[in-house]
Amino acid sequence: MFEISPAAGGLHLSGRFDAAAAASAEPHFEALSGAAEVNMAALEYISSAGLGVLLKAHKRLAASGAGLRLVEVSPHIAEILHFSGFDMLFEVVPASDPA
Amino acid sequence: MKLSLNRELSEIERIVAARRAYFAKHNLPGSLAYTVDLATEELFVNMIRHNNQAREKIILEFEAVDNGISVRLTDREITAFDPASAAPADIATPLEERAVGGLGLHLVRQLVGAVHCERRDDRTTLSFLARKEAAHV
Repeated sequence: MFEISPAAGGLHLSGRFDAAAAASAEPHFEALSGAAEVNMAALEYISSAGLGVLLKAHKRLAASGAGLRLVEVSPHIAEILHFSGFDMLFEVVPASDPA
Repeated sequence: MKLSLNRELSEIERIVAARRAYFAKHNLPGSLAYTVDLATEELFVNMIRHNNQAREKIILEFEAVDNGISVRLTDREITAFDPASAAPADIATPLEERAVGGLGLHLVRQLVGAVHCERRDDRTTLSFLARKEAAHV
């Protein structure tokens, strides 16, 4: 199950961002403007369909000098971002270690 | 385990549920779950999108093997698609030139290496092996 909700200055994602979830997520990303944060602390999974939604929004925002910042990124999601080359395109902030 | 899938993205939820049940039954390591889910989703979605004139169900099979799990997806093919013929994604492309699509097969190759394609009559089977020692995520 995938959930997306507005958060201060961006969006909060949780669950599985797969091809079935991408279409419903897109309007939330289209509504973003300026510099925005995408909190991935509760994101369990992302496939190329979810990555496509992130990239499309980031390209649109970057055209006006802003973009997406991916925060609270877990190690396995960070690995997918790395395999995709997204760590070269986005600012990626890893999840902090649990105390 | 064999599962007949409708040609709809909503079936991804059923794929994941079946994968979870199969992993539990065969005591497969959770470290392989992301790899199997992602590679299966990407190949299933490719079959739906590239072979969009087909109406028959897609057959998904899981088989536990000594060093991991073998996954097979079989479709009645009207529009031929071989993952090996797909152009590699250029992940070094700058943002403004970066295409939004084309990452799926790249990720599959990163996670499982080669995808085997076998054609018999009008059926095409795509298969991959997720190895215990090669699980990345």
